[in-house]
Amino acid sequence: MFDSMKEKLATIVGADNVKDDAGILESYAKDQSFATGIRPWFVVKPQNAQQVQDLVKWANETSTPLVPVSSGGPHHKGDTIPSVPQSVIVDLSGMNRILNINRQQRMTVVEPGVTYGELQEALAKEGMTLSMPLAPRATKSVMTSVLEVEPRLNANHQWQYHDPLRCMEVVWGDGNSMFTGEAAGGVKDLEKQWDAQKWQVSGNGPNMFDFLRIPTQAQGTMGIVTWASLKCEVLPTIHNMHFVPAKKLENLIDFVYRVIRLRFSDELMVMNGSYLAELLGESAEQIQQLKAELPQWVALVGVLGRELLPEDRVEQQTSDIEEIAQQHGLKMVPALPKIKGDKVLAKALNPSKELYWKETAKGAYQDIFFVTTLDKTPMFLKAMYELAEDEGYNTSDIGVYIQPQHCGSSYHLEFHLPYDPNNALETAKVKRMFEKGSELMSGLGAFYARPYGMWAKLQLNKDAQSYNALKKLKKIFDPNDVMNTGKLTV
Amino acid sequence: MALAREIYQALEDIVGKKNISEDIGVCESYRSIASQTSAHYGPFDHWTPLPQAVILPGSTEEVQNVVRICNKYKIQFKAGSTFYATMAYIGSDYAVQLDMRRMSKIEIDAKNQCAIIEPYAIAAVVQAEAMKVGLNLNIPGVGCSSSTLASTSGWAGFGPTSIFMGASGENLLSAEWVLPDGEVIKTGSAGAGAGWFCGEGPGPSFRSVFRGVTGVAGSMGVCTKIAVRLHPWPGPTFLPSDGVLPAYKAVLPDNFKCYTLCFPDWEGWTTAAAIIHENDVLYLGHRQYNMFGRNLKGAMIRILTDPEKQLCDLPELLEDPELQKQNESMKLEFQVVIAGMTKKDMEYKEKAIDEILKLSRGWKNEMMLEKDVHDWALLYLLRLGHKNLNYVLCGAYEGNFGMSSNLYVTTPLMEEASALKRKWEVEATAIAATGGDSEMGSISGIGGGGVTGWEYFTNFDAYDKDSIRGTKEFFDDTQRWMTEHGLGGDFSRWNTECRREDSYNYTQEEHDSFFVKMAQPHVMAYQWKVREAFNPNHLGGSYYRTLTPDKVPEGK
Repeated sequence: MFDSMKEKLATIVGADNVKDDAGILESYAKDQSFATGIRPWFVVKPQNAQQVQDLVKWANETSTPLVPVSSGGPHHKGDTIPSVPQSVIVDLSGMNRILNINRQQRMTVVEPGVTYGELQEALAKEGMTLSMPLAPRATKSVMTSVLEVEPRLNANHQWQYHDPLRCMEVVWGDGNSMFTGEAAGGVKDLEKQWDAQKWQVSGNGPNMFDFLRIPTQAQGTMGIVTWASLKCEVLPTIHNMHFVPAKKLENLIDFVYRVIRLRFSDELMVMNGSYLAELLGESAEQIQQLKAELPQWVALVGVLGRELLPEDRVEQQTSDIEEIAQQHGLKMVPALPKIKGDKVLAKALNPSKELYWKETAKGAYQDIFFVTTLDKTPMFLKAMYELAEDEGYNTSDIGVYIQPQHCGSSYHLEFHLPYDPNNALETAKVKRMFEKGSELMSGLGAFYARPYGMWAKLQLNKDAQSYNALKKLKKIFDPNDVMNTGKLTV
Repeated sequence: MALAREIYQALEDIVGKKNISEDIGVCESYRSIASQTSAHYGPFDHWTPLPQAVILPGSTEEVQNVVRICNKYKIQFKAGSTFYATMAYIGSDYAVQLDMRRMSKIEIDAKNQCAIIEPYAIAAVVQAEAMKVGLNLNIPGVGCSSSTLASTSGWAGFGPTSIFMGASGENLLSAEWVLPDGEVIKTGSAGAGAGWFCGEGPGPSFRSVFRGVTGVAGSMGVCTKIAVRLHPWPGPTFLPSDGVLPAYKAVLPDNFKCYTLCFPDWEGWTTAAAIIHENDVLYLGHRQYNMFGRNLKGAMIRILTDPEKQLCDLPELLEDPELQKQNESMKLEFQVVIAGMTKKDMEYKEKAIDEILKLSRGWKNEMMLEKDVHDWALLYLLRLGHKNLNYVLCGAYEGNFGMSSNLYVTTPLMEEASALKRKWEVEATAIAATGGDSEMGSISGIGGGGVTGWEYFTNFDAYDKDSIRGTKEFFDDTQRWMTEHGLGGDFSRWNTECRREDSYNYTQEEHDSFFVKMAQPHVMAYQWKVREAFNPNHLGGSYYRTLTPDKVPEGK
């Protein structure tokens, strides 16, 4: 059976793109999280959408679970490792073409394997850029990042929750392939759509059902996306980052509310000194030093000018935000001791160096993140610090990152727990912290919109109707449960 | 057939005797004439079916129980709130009409910028409540007297402020929904009791089922509560109005300005719109007054801003040389409102508008800067409370063409489209002669720009069979023209696949015959599966477009 499977897979993607070496399989069987995985049978690397569709059809015929993976490692959320035996990893990193860049429409179309570094470089040549999550891994797939709705730094330009994601081509779990959004209203051929001046700008629908919202936040459980169109921004001609330091998180809350209320700033985020130190530090020693020097809390405020009166805009926004800071008993400054805005901007808006910055401090980490409102963040913080004290985890090691989303209607709150993976005691402590902390946050009202691993149970068990609806949707798009089997379940 | 007594009694037991009626007079008032403003279906010379009963539920629980009874006895149902369009009305004889007017609560969360509202909370009231705490909402083209919940969850929802605030669908946060089978679901964060701030997830979002590029037009259960995202209002805590009907105006502080930006050609117009799409300058952007027609708009604005004037003054005003000059000045134009969050912000935005005009060879129309006209336009655009003016020329109107896609593709075709309409205005008598170009709509149909939201206003007489028939023929011609130019469906035909010309639901066979021809028929086949999963008794009518999956052609 194993050999016939391998033979069949080879006919679909080519023999060179089917891997079953023990080392390779092992590397897909685990990640950096505490999730436990099972070794896959094969890793296949399709090169185009047709091969992807053939793979999914084959999976349905043979009841073989498929686990789509687009980003390179290391992975951290448990979503890319098989939950069931005899799975096949569909590694999409080889589909890495930027299919289109259109300056007039500010759109680009990318395949799953395109990374932020590659895309931003190509966009810059056309005078554009794409909104960023905070310093993603160098190997991070842009498409995975937008499909999983990683928080972007520019909440004020997120009119839609899923911005910048617009249209897609999806091979659903049942093997059917279609375009979504505006692109589904025409012929299923991108070249022909471009010839007709259709640039996949509007992502909803195309009719009353919103197909875009099925593969998003889905961890690959509904289908495989083979291209996505993304809304870009004009490249700034001026771009500054400012700091508003504070002793307590509470001191920044009203300031952030006010800035986002008035739609000022282009990037806006809050983090504690530990998190900022990890973002900026090049080594564990430097991070320790920075933690001692940086303020306990800081709001980072980016302001930019593009083509239209850039100096005027930057001057107005900077001046007005400075005034808001003053009104709240705070001060906005262009630099912190030894840290200039430019350095933070470069770190925040670019992919990480090869060693992911979150792993620099201690070699490994575990994050707990969820969606909430800004006014509730101090409550979650207090509870997390109390838990850390109970568990003997150094509270000053906890990184905290708060990111406004969707024009400020909700906030991503992230607790970052670094640890030394070679220290068994510390590893066990962080594992306990993660499990207890996840439950504690859930009990306090955390909303795990992206329910990875144990969060799926925590979140879905709270809401039977949503879970029943999710199961019905899964049955429609992946009736044989071949897509990342075992994820998003209770 | 009338409802059996035990069914009527069961429904009455749920909502109380005062909140249900099968009186023929009451039921007749819940029929829609499909000859006008059916957004966008018609014009047809007929009425929607007579409901078996009209029910006014007062709570989610009552809605749920009514829906359960409908499922038990296979009675179709449809909920309407402010009943602007035909889509709110039933499409079969064995059906009941739900009128949601008893559910009108509004709760504002000022800090987190959202309003939690029930179906009969109209936009004007939501806006008034929001302004008390420095917030505002996107009011779509349907106007401020319509249900915000309906336009946000049930239909399209773009309007003048969409460029700054996003279209209604983009502002939808959590929602509470009585599904067609009687189950109640809360989407996103509200489902787990975490609050109403997020409508997505956990995991794939259930809102996909009822809110795509449009909502489901009442065909998939009843939406009973939603949270909508609110946006900054840097004005007073109430919208101050002054003047005499119809020349109501808003006297606002200097941090609000309304301009009519004019251009020498469509290229300049497009340049300005494209720059606006790329920069955060506008609070509002709309081509509004061209709805009166290219030849009439100046004179109509004079009539509407001067309480001494009436429609009968129109011929005389059209002869006024100064007015002709102003009309010519704003032949190709759109209106904008800029709102300064601070003094410096206002200065920047004023300068930005001047720069945009410089780059696009444009100018500001002088007449629209006159204090009374300016303040009238401000109130009009910020509140969209002048919906009655859509009907003022002939008693009825309908939108057509609807070239709402790529700015660079559609603007070069505007004059050709206008010439086609002008030909029908001159050569036929069915539609009003307003100057061909009566294109109006949003500078952006989505937040931040990128897709326009346009339609041509066509005015006709909804009580004249020849006018109705002639208008329909004109719309057939514009659909032909749209198809020839690769522009897709005409706006006037948006809902013709949802309800037959006789106003009854389509059968599945009829839907199949339409949708099997689609370039990507899986869209409707999946919608069929979604309907089967969540609406197994098919009680919502045929607005939910479906294709039987086994009809999808091989290889598609």
